[in-house]
Amino acid sequence: MSARGRRHRIVVPVLAAALLMTITLVTHEIDQPDPTDRGFLSPTVTGDHGGSRLAASLARQGVVVQRETNALRALLATRPGPATLFVPAPELLHPRTVGHLGLLPDGTRLVLVDPPRRVLAAAGLPLRPTGRRWATRAVPPHQLDRSCPLTEVVPATTAAVARQRYVPTGAPDSVDLCYAAGLARLTGTTESVVVGASDPFRNGRIDEWDNLTFATGLLATTGRVVWLDLDGPEPPPPEPTPAPTRPPPERDDGIDEPDQQEDLDSEGNGETAPGARPGGEASGPGARGSSGEPNPLWSAFPPWFWALLLQLALAALLIAIGRARRLGPPNPEPLPVAVPAAETVLGRGRLYQQARARESTARVLRTATLARLARRLHLPTEAPPSTVAATVAARTGDRPEAIHELLYGDAPQTDRGLLELAGELDRVTRAGEPAPTRPLPDAPAPARLPKPRSEGDHR
Amino acid sequence: MTWRAAALLAAGALTLPGWPAPFVGLVVMVCVVLLLVGLDLALAAPLGALTVERAGERAVRLGGTATVTLYLRNASGRPLRARVRDAWVPSAGARPEVPPTRVVHAAPGEVLALPSHLTPTRRGDRPAVALTIRSFGPLGLAFRQWDGRPGTPPWTLRVLPRFEARRHLPERLSRLRVIDGTQVGRGRGPGTEFDALREYVSGDDVRSIDWRASARRAEVLVRTWRPERDRRLICVLDTGRTSAVRVGDEPRLDASIEAALLLSALAGRAGDRVDVLAADVVPRASVAGAERPGQWSRLAHALAPLQPALVETDFRLIAGELLRRHRPRSLVVLLTALEPGALGEGLLPVLPRLAARHRVLVAAAQDPVLVRLTATPPRRPEDAYAAAAAWRTFDERNRLTAALTRHHVTVVDAPADHLAPALADAYLTLKSTAQL
Repeated sequence: MSARGRRHRIVVPVLAAALLMTITLVTHEIDQPDPTDRGFLSPTVTGDHGGSRLAASLARQGVVVQRETNALRALLATRPGPATLFVPAPELLHPRTVGHLGLLPDGTRLVLVDPPRRVLAAAGLPLRPTGRRWATRAVPPHQLDRSCPLTEVVPATTAAVARQRYVPTGAPDSVDLCYAAGLARLTGTTESVVVGASDPFRNGRIDEWDNLTFATGLLATTGRVVWLDLDGPEPPPPEPTPAPTRPPPERDDGIDEPDQQEDLDSEGNGETAPGARPGGEASGPGARGSSGEPNPLWSAFPPWFWALLLQLALAALLIAIGRARRLGPPNPEPLPVAVPAAETVLGRGRLYQQARARESTARVLRTATLARLARRLHLPTEAPPSTVAATVAARTGDRPEAIHELLYGDAPQTDRGLLELAGELDRVTRAGEPAPTRPLPDAPAPARLPKPRSEGDHR
Repeated sequence: MTWRAAALLAAGALTLPGWPAPFVGLVVMVCVVLLLVGLDLALAAPLGALTVERAGERAVRLGGTATVTLYLRNASGRPLRARVRDAWVPSAGARPEVPPTRVVHAAPGEVLALPSHLTPTRRGDRPAVALTIRSFGPLGLAFRQWDGRPGTPPWTLRVLPRFEARRHLPERLSRLRVIDGTQVGRGRGPGTEFDALREYVSGDDVRSIDWRASARRAEVLVRTWRPERDRRLICVLDTGRTSAVRVGDEPRLDASIEAALLLSALAGRAGDRVDVLAADVVPRASVAGAERPGQWSRLAHALAPLQPALVETDFRLIAGELLRRHRPRSLVVLLTALEPGALGEGLLPVLPRLAARHRVLVAAAQDPVLVRLTATPPRRPEDAYAAAAAWRTFDERNRLTAALTRHHVTVVDAPADHLAPALADAYLTLKSTAQL
């Protein structure tokens, strides 16, 4: 088999595998929704990634679905009484808002869909994510050794819940795990349910398995669902409250102190606050540096490091200052002309070539050769061509017809023909030339001195 | 300040981890370094107390090496530690014996000698441009350096033409002696001017027997002849645009200067008066009486700084100058280029007036490339086209030569390296045939 065939035998399967992998990756990327997208699991969006069918199903069961687009208003809407706060995209919540999740009233059920680790930590839930599957898997609620205590979802015998798995960080008894650890429930004054996949709630997948039963059962327990539908990353809440989960370093600046005089009750109309506040926090987390908090990089290294860096920079500056002074200026000088004398001649030659002036070139070459030959062979200027050809042929040993054709023939049609003609002319000129010491026809004859008339004298 | 100050600061930076308050340590160290720098600057030898002089060769032949020494006198009370850069123009080819990177030391009152060896690469005047002295303090942390202090002592090295044509001189001189009749003892010189009568010896040309004188004396006398002496020769150098192009590796003017130098040396020995004039739109140089022994070096010095000017030569001016200043009939040697455009429009209109009074000889250095183009067998089509172009150029030149010859102008058209001997030969031919 040829090298080409061997190469094909290797390349084709590799290419096929690469193509397959590319298709898989692209399809997966398209199929998996991004929770931060606008309209993801929104009760009003009817697309594949929306949650309109879930909302409709809840409404059919007589559950009140209250859509809120602001986190703080949603928090307030859970009061009073039992309600379910459904957060389909916890990633979008502002870290400070997450802290407020711990302040929900008694009897509230909080449902978080696939929350990242920081949300779990900030909300004070003793859970941490462990393994994550590449795609969601449909699993039964009960595990081999223990049954699922969530009776409202047990009717769903198989649901696509297991994508992100969770393990408790504290005592294992405080957390109820169902669906192969894809669902975790923490009981307490407020009941928190963490679901590891968004598939059971999405329009596109709600009909598969027992997803509809699972989702409806999970949300319908309290009879009222506050559906937090965020369009994008939530702006920071207007005034932070001293939440217990807030990290201590964020409290050490004095800039935020005046804001704390406002209380939580004014947060109801808080959605206008970010716009009304000039500059600063309206632009999100990136603006935190301008509010005076020290860059954490400063504390990352000891102060001597920064001093060392500064001193080295000063040393570099000193070097630059020292090197900047040159030892005397550069000294200019007018340069002589660099144009060779034969420049125009060579340029004209190139022009002839570009213009394909073969006829005139051949004529000039023939005329010059004739003049040289006539001078060397002592031919009269008006000698007929046949005489010239015969004389030259006698000198070179060629046939007279060939010489005649060479000296008086047609102009060449190609560059190659011209080159051959020039070479032949050169050869004919050289033939019989004893020594080409002075090939220049126009050089003056060496000044011949008359010999001194010195009869009989031998120096 | 120097790199040492920076190195000191950088070395101090490494001790910073040991300081209780690093930023205070930084400020302290920067202050200490700046203080040292200031102290060093104050202790450096003052530049105003330095005096500089130069001595050495004023002229050198192209290709030779001259030595110019700079004497640096430290008149201050402090020892001098300095780097000295004595800058010449690049074409002077200066090689200082003490490179500018080395620090020289001079005790108070000491005089330092800093020689520079100059091997110029071009003819002409090569000036010293700038002298820079950088005086360091005792610690080497800071230096003093001012432009123009001390001032650059002016010095110009005149680079004389190579005059390689002088190797042709002995041969031409011996030929001249033959013409003169001095070398070939009893042979009669081929001149036309009566020299002396002397006794006939066997072998003399019977035609030169002076019968009238023989009749008066008892023995047979012959006349001896010699070439004309005390003729006038004017060398005119065209320094216009056509002299700027490169022939071989040098400007055409250099070939013209070589030829003029050889010709004047030869003519001086032959007893003719030589004047040299260089002009384009203005007269650039004029040397009269270059035939006298002391004058020849003056001629070389006058021709050395000539540079081609990129202007069209004003032959009307040259002709006027020749007709005004040189009344008697002279041989005018015009060293220019055989360019149909330049000569046809410039020289030909004034040539009749000039040729009416003087004998004119036009000498031109041609590019050896032209000969090579027409003489080498063609290998590529380009060669054939280039050969045709060269032939056309020769053709134009021939026409111009013919036009000049009609005015009884002798034309010497030779490759640049053969121009000087060819011109000398033409001069000897004219001299031997008494056409001066």
